[in-house]
Amino acid sequence: MIRFEKRESTSTSLKILIPTVSIILGILIGAVAILLKGINPIKVYQALLIGAYSSKYTFSETLVAATPLILISAGLIVVFKMNFWNIGAYGQYIMGAIFSSYFAIFWSPHIPKVIMLTVMVIAGMVGGALWAIIPALLKAYWEVNEVISTLLLNYIALFVLKFLMYGTWRDPLSHGFPLSKPFPNNAQLPRIIPHTRVNLGLIFGIIAVFVVWYLLKKTKFGYEIRVIGENPNAARYAGMNVAKNIIIAMIISGALAGLAGMVQVSGIIHLLQIKINPDYGYTAIIVAWLAYLDPIVASFFAVFLGGLASGAYQIQITMQVPFGIVGVIESAILFVLIGSEIFMRYRLVFDVGKKKHSGQEETL
Amino acid sequence: MSGAHHIVLIVLFSAAVQSGTTLLYPTIGEIFAERSGILNLGVEGMMIMGAFFGFVVTYITRNPYIGFLAGVLAGGAAALIHAFVSITLRGNQVVSGLALTIFGLGFTNFYGQRWINLRSPVTVSQMSVPLLSKIPYIGPIFFKQDALVYTSYIVAIVMWFILYKTKVGVHLRATGQNARAADAMGVNVYATRYWWTFFGGLLAGAGGAYLTIAYAPFWLDGMTAGRGWIAIALVIFAMWDPLNAMVGAYLFGGIDALQLQLQAVGVTIPSSLLNMLPYLLTLIVIIIATLIVRVKHISAPKELGIPYNREEK
Amino acid sequence: MAEYILQARNITKKFPGVLANDHINFDLKKGEIHTILGENGAGKSTLMNILDGIYYPNEGEIYINGKKANIRSPFDSMRYGIGMIHQHFMLVDTLTVLENVILGLKDQSFFINKKQIADKIIEISDKYKFDLKPFAKIWQLSVGEQQRVEIVKMLFRGADILILDEPTAVLTPQESEALFEILKKMKSEGKSIIFISHKLNEVMEISDRITVLRKGKVIGTVNKEETNPVELAKMMVGREVLFRLQRKPLERGEEVLKVENVEAYNDRGIKVLNKIGFTVHKGEIFGLAGVAGNGQKELAQVITGLRKATSGKVFLLGKDITNQHPLVIANSGTNYIPPDRLKVGLIPNLSSIDNAILRRYRKNPIGSGILVNYKKAREYTESLIEKFNIMVPRIDAPVKLLSGGNMQKLLLAREISENPALLIAVHPTRGLDIGATEFIRKKLLEVRDSGMAVLLISEDLDEILMISDRIGVIYEGRITGIMDAKDADVHKIGLLMAGSTEEESATVH
Repeated sequence: MIRFEKRESTSTSLKILIPTVSIILGILIGAVAILLKGINPIKVYQALLIGAYSSKYTFSETLVAATPLILISAGLIVVFKMNFWNIGAYGQYIMGAIFSSYFAIFWSPHIPKVIMLTVMVIAGMVGGALWAIIPALLKAYWEVNEVISTLLLNYIALFVLKFLMYGTWRDPLSHGFPLSKPFPNNAQLPRIIPHTRVNLGLIFGIIAVFVVWYLLKKTKFGYEIRVIGENPNAARYAGMNVAKNIIIAMIISGALAGLAGMVQVSGIIHLLQIKINPDYGYTAIIVAWLAYLDPIVASFFAVFLGGLASGAYQIQITMQVPFGIVGVIESAILFVLIGSEIFMRYRLVFDVGKKKHSGQEETL
Repeated sequence: MSGAHHIVLIVLFSAAVQSGTTLLYPTIGEIFAERSGILNLGVEGMMIMGAFFGFVVTYITRNPYIGFLAGVLAGGAAALIHAFVSITLRGNQVVSGLALTIFGLGFTNFYGQRWINLRSPVTVSQMSVPLLSKIPYIGPIFFKQDALVYTSYIVAIVMWFILYKTKVGVHLRATGQNARAADAMGVNVYATRYWWTFFGGLLAGAGGAYLTIAYAPFWLDGMTAGRGWIAIALVIFAMWDPLNAMVGAYLFGGIDALQLQLQAVGVTIPSSLLNMLPYLLTLIVIIIATLIVRVKHISAPKELGIPYNREEK
Repeated sequence: MAEYILQARNITKKFPGVLANDHINFDLKKGEIHTILGENGAGKSTLMNILDGIYYPNEGEIYINGKKANIRSPFDSMRYGIGMIHQHFMLVDTLTVLENVILGLKDQSFFINKKQIADKIIEISDKYKFDLKPFAKIWQLSVGEQQRVEIVKMLFRGADILILDEPTAVLTPQESEALFEILKKMKSEGKSIIFISHKLNEVMEISDRITVLRKGKVIGTVNKEETNPVELAKMMVGREVLFRLQRKPLERGEEVLKVENVEAYNDRGIKVLNKIGFTVHKGEIFGLAGVAGNGQKELAQVITGLRKATSGKVFLLGKDITNQHPLVIANSGTNYIPPDRLKVGLIPNLSSIDNAILRRYRKNPIGSGILVNYKKAREYTESLIEKFNIMVPRIDAPVKLLSGGNMQKLLLAREISENPALLIAVHPTRGLDIGATEFIRKKLLEVRDSGMAVLLISEDLDEILMISDRIGVIYEGRITGIMDAKDADVHKIGLLMAGSTEEESATVH
């Protein structure tokens, strides 16, 4: 910390330093955990790096994992800015996947691809947004705690998915496995890098990041949610409609999470099943926080945590290191990150009082 | 025939109490953490830690009580991370709690692989309470249970008493309501919050341990399955009162037992819908409870989630 | 040494950017009432918080009965027999009187012995004629009663040294008198009392000795008999005080605000406005005096649309604005300086720009379509900063880094720049230093001269008397009297503030 005492504006440098230190410490704590299991952590991390970043293909898999994180975190940033704790991206993602899959499964495979995909994108966003509007309404009009409501809706969404997959949406040819019939070609998002699974979803993510950035920085809506997040009393005093803003922000957040779900089924899995990795909804929370709610910075952290996830997925098989290590590392990063924010505040205040009072004389 | 119905109901309600016990412990724990002003959303993470260590230690020592104790301590240890981050470092309590949940689920997945699907060799034995177990209906439901269930009754009653009738309770309530005033009067705000956050973790661990030791004596990855979140919802339902927590816990235990019973009987409702029931009902109940709390002008402890710093105005 | 029960030597306390206490020396004799006099921001409260162990000084020592004391927490200070009654009471409002009294006491048994404690509370309470009920909840008590709970709490702990931080700020003049009698009784029983105030008249009434603080330093300690208010005022502010502010003669114009039989409830569901009615005219300052908590806050909220009136009407320029949306009311010509600038008026973590445009971001040229033009916003903010002489570290630094006076200037600048027909100002100078206070008061007079109607709600009677044209008094949510400022005096207003309506004959319109 001493290095930073000299700088004029510590807040910006700490904004880089703290996440960096958090990541390093998170990885070290992960290493201890691996060591305790009797595995050499250096080898694990080596394999993880190779698995995530070594070749064009492995890096493309990192991008594949980063895509939903970019989409979801961009949306979460909008609601987190206004201090609304949407923990429900998990459920909104599932709903997006379900809504868009409906058309892939039940509509004709002969509909032109552009139309089919447009309908699926819209359906995914609508599905996510609808699931997000429920807690937004409950919070805006009845003050129901959104952490609890969004979380419960995650479980409910998961059981809706299970209900469909064990029910009418199951492919009769799946030998009893809870899988839908494979999506026809017209319902598959086109790949943008040959011989990889990187698809149009990544472009959606990049667009989303810039749209959110623009919304927050340039529009009245961005200004209002900043004021609401920092001081809801002042917002009401200025005549802002807090309820309306909560609902709009949650529609954006839910729609982007739903779009991520659509991208996953239409761009990667090509069918609907129970395992569609909704945990991205939780990981995206970490992404948003590491980036201090800046959507552009968040997309880089999405690539980092996406790499961690895709690397860990591979070593799970090759090195017998369970996937839970990702949770241990991620939570360690988070603990260090939020625990360190005190230094940011402390330094910030300290810097203002630059006057030095020295040379007091002792009497008595 | 009516006799058979009677037995079915008693079995159902008795199972409801056991399922409710997995919720009662963590709900009471969270009530006390929140009463001190600390919001700990990591209940799910602490429960799964309790469940895991409770199971493993029971498996190794073949003594469910030692296992239970291990689970309790594991939950407490996990809570200390949250306490450190949110009390000493004044970090964001919502995020810290989420991190704790991610940690618990990740940790138990990472170390739990070799225990998956193993069954516990021992379990806690049922013991009837003399006299009380003879009461019609009430007796067989509440007083033909195991020692860990009885402990939960005692915890609920004793904690209610401590909350309202003792010096410790006054200090606790003051700390969550007005930390500055409590501090000015000589209450150690930091110590109070540390202790009750830790206590919350102990009880969350107890709830998890009861799950793997008595209610479902085996280990599955992520087997708490959202019970921690239901417990957090029950805190609002209980309006931060340990005795109300009993009502809430058994109500949800009842729904859980009912859906399992219906599945066992082979009712034609798809199991995914039955599984959904507790979460859906929690959502509905939390909405109603929130409305009631508002009408009655009861509110959460005023400084819930707000870090305290003596020198900050 | 034995003559002094408490001595503070070279106490120095730094806060970021401020030297709150600068080598302060101060002695308290046994059995005296010793006033610490000083402006807001002079360092009085900091010094008291150090004696009470809330803050720890960067330098200096405290001696109790000649022995060095190490006070690191309020608990330590209590052990040395120091009991502090804070300006904002340290009471937990959901607990009972009894529970508050024993809060933090280490020698209490684990199980509360209610009977024994209640008896002791009643004993203390009877001795000073307090009439306290041990099992009442704090939130059910009036402010005066709450203060008495604070006193009982300290006496219960056996405090020999009582510190009262601006205890009369929340009391009517009559309640203050009663408090002074209690303090004198305690003094006669050998208690030593530190009394903190910035009100000269009460200082002259109650003190034995007076220590004056200015800008964190001790200016001097004087005996009451050897001084007078003029000298004290000079010591306090370092120059002659302006008691009168220049103003144009009143040109009372048309009726701008009319409040008619308004009733409303507070957040706890208690009725706090009780058929209140009055009018404010163009070109006048209508001062509304009253003790805190008599419905002032809620009244301002009802007028600005932030709280629902359950009955009655509010008219602005003849138009019914009752229970309209805050935005509608603001746009029809009402601006509002709320009582708590950090909690309502400003957004502490956002920049001066974001704060300055709170009323303008919707309107051209700063707002355009769905966008905010931040270039225009910056220019606008710069113009406010220049016009109102606001000191900011950087224009995009968070406003929480501004001094209280500059925050309030920014808030005032933003509100009056909308050039409303009606300006509502609630406690506009609370907690500000003399320079900023004077600036704000002059600005209020300036906008009055320019024809704005000003509703000034304040607990500071001096402020009301200084700048109002007409004065109304609010008590328990109704107006107990309205008079011209030239007919008003402290005694008359004091009676009305205590709920007496005998003065109705003095009412004008």
